Amino acid sequence: MQQGRDAERVTGRRTVLKAAGASLAVAGLGATATACGGGSGSGDGTVTIRYSWWGAEDRAERINKTIDLFEKKYPKIKVKTDFQPYGDFWKKFNTQASGGNPPDVFQNAIGFLRKYDAKNVLLDLSEQVKAGNLRMEGFRAGLEKFGEIDGKLLGVPVGSNSMALVIDKPVYTRAGAKPEMGWTWDDFDEAMKNIRDRTGRAGDSGMYGVMYLYDLYLRQNGKAFFTKEGLGFTEADLTQWWTKAEKGVKSGLFANAKKVVQVKPKSALSAELAGSEFTWDNFTVRYTSEGKSEYGLAPIPTTDGKRTGQYLGSLMLSASRRTQHPKEVAQFIDFMVHDPEVAKIMGYDRGVPATQVQYDAYTPTDPVNKAIAAYEESLVEAGVLETITPHPNGADVCEAAFLRIAEEMALGKRSVDDAVKQFFTESKTALAG
Amino acid sequence: MSAQATDITPAPSSKGAIRRRLPGSLAWHLGSLAILAVILYPVVWVVGGSFKKSEDIVGSLDLFPADPIVDNYTSLTDGIADISISTFFVNSLLLAVGSVVGILISCSLTAYAFAKIRFAGRNLLFTLMIGTLLLPYHVLLIPQYVLFRNMDMINTYTPLLLGKYLATEAFFVFLMVQFMRNLPKELDEAARLDGCGHMRIYWSIVLPLCRPALITSAIFTFINAWNDFMGPLIYLNEPGKYTVSLGLKMFVDQEGLANYGGMIAMSLVALLPVLAFFLAFQRYLIDGMATSGLKG
Repeated sequence: MQQGRDAERVTGRRTVLKAAGASLAVAGLGATATACGGGSGSGDGTVTIRYSWWGAEDRAERINKTIDLFEKKYPKIKVKTDFQPYGDFWKKFNTQASGGNPPDVFQNAIGFLRKYDAKNVLLDLSEQVKAGNLRMEGFRAGLEKFGEIDGKLLGVPVGSNSMALVIDKPVYTRAGAKPEMGWTWDDFDEAMKNIRDRTGRAGDSGMYGVMYLYDLYLRQNGKAFFTKEGLGFTEADLTQWWTKAEKGVKSGLFANAKKVVQVKPKSALSAELAGSEFTWDNFTVRYTSEGKSEYGLAPIPTTDGKRTGQYLGSLMLSASRRTQHPKEVAQFIDFMVHDPEVAKIMGYDRGVPATQVQYDAYTPTDPVNKAIAAYEESLVEAGVLETITPHPNGADVCEAAFLRIAEEMALGKRSVDDAVKQFFTESKTALAG
Repeated sequence: MSAQATDITPAPSSKGAIRRRLPGSLAWHLGSLAILAVILYPVVWVVGGSFKKSEDIVGSLDLFPADPIVDNYTSLTDGIADISISTFFVNSLLLAVGSVVGILISCSLTAYAFAKIRFAGRNLLFTLMIGTLLLPYHVLLIPQYVLFRNMDMINTYTPLLLGKYLATEAFFVFLMVQFMRNLPKELDEAARLDGCGHMRIYWSIVLPLCRPALITSAIFTFINAWNDFMGPLIYLNEPGKYTVSLGLKMFVDQEGLANYGGMIAMSLVALLPVLAFFLAFQRYLIDGMATSGLKG
């Protein structure tokens, strides 16, 4: 299987090269087109924009290739990139933004939109849309509104993802668990029990700490994790959720938190501690590269047999309000979300491409990415997708606190009541800021 | 081994002494070896890990791989994210050596002033300098960033080096001051009688005697600069200018494919310069301590 994947990677590179070759011709045409329509540029010399994102080397190589394409099409714009892993990216970004020197364009996520809008860091791109430098048409499933807050366009989605239950297929088969669209939390609990009893593994790795899953559960019950200003649930709600979790950990339905911590940075699922894990569907790639089993995507359990509460999430590209080159930045974002060649290079690395053109341009050939595409299509078919609820300023801090405090509770360092209180105290501080 | 020792020993009377010492010595050595094994375990694990496949590394406690591979090392020659590995090493070396030179010159000069020259406000300034040790790094981070940005020095090595040439590392100044204060006053007085000025006394009398303090500072500065992560993270904006510590972070991100093998192999390679630097200079460190008994 490993060999198969390696071969896949090699052919992947080859197609990328071919794609790059083919796009040379396209880029040539594009260049003449801009030359004709030009005259708005500064005329003398080139413009350099800084583009920062989080990720590792694999993403870096893909992004470098897309930037080569962009620079061929827009020879007057040079793009300098800079990347770190997620945590370090935000450390650096925070310092730079506070120091008045954020990158011109950067990768962004929903939890940070209001936070950096409140700090006046983000550029409202709607003027660039009006000026025709950025097209906001052709996005899938209403994603064009995703980065809009209070009428301002603060981010442009690059790829969609949605929460899923990543399962170890052989384990689920042995346990006789068959997750299907519309299965309920009772079915889920039953599956957890069967996995524990029949395979000797825990059913799940630690669903109680995943903020985005709890959000779905709340949405199924007519609430949501966040409102515009604060938290959308009560201490009693969370006590109920975590009491169930604590019982699950004690009875072995959920993986032993100590062991989960020990195998980090590997996930409990690929370390064979648990039979499944809730996460974003496009992260599946990670499990296949870490673990030896076969992994699949299962739907989110429901409360009423219909609503999963799901929505499409997305990474975004945002621009900095301080940028000297808003037009070039807009052209850059436009190219990255609409150009079909970019989609062929990026694949599903940042989620399923956000625009229909890019979605059609890339057809996955390997089982993992095929599964991701099939999963997202099944969500559309089942009609379960709803719109995302707002994420207030401080949402990112709440998410981190939720995960950390849930883990402490599972480790037995905090009682459920103590954990709930601690979370409400911390999130109140975070959301007040 | 002990048998060999008894064979060589000529005097028969010492045989009894060895027999008496043997159990104690054996226990001592076994105990040391046991402690050493515990201490070295992580290092050996990393070395073993660098020959494992990426997916076998994390979460496995096995010291050595079932079937060793060298791909992790050979893949390093391809570079990371289109940048060759040697770039990171050259950048880190440049920074580390530049820092060592800066610290040695600036801190020893400052220390000389504090230790040997009487001037108005000396004690106050010295206290203030020690006070800077209490400032947490994070308090200075953003003001410093703004300062360097206004001077247009972002994305250069200047912000990372400039302070080192201006004796801002109070700890090393303090270390050298304490050392210089212990040097006998008679030596400077004799030099002054012979017509030496401050520069001459500093260069010909104090510096050579301060060798242990200088070498200690050099070793710590080199290691700190080599391992520094936050500084290069904040100030350098192009992967081509990144240091080894930043390069190591390029292998793994939670969202995508992780190359643990490459990361571990590179972290071992990254250890070598630090190790070499330490081995080369620790000799002088001990040497210096032995010879500075002059003060009596």
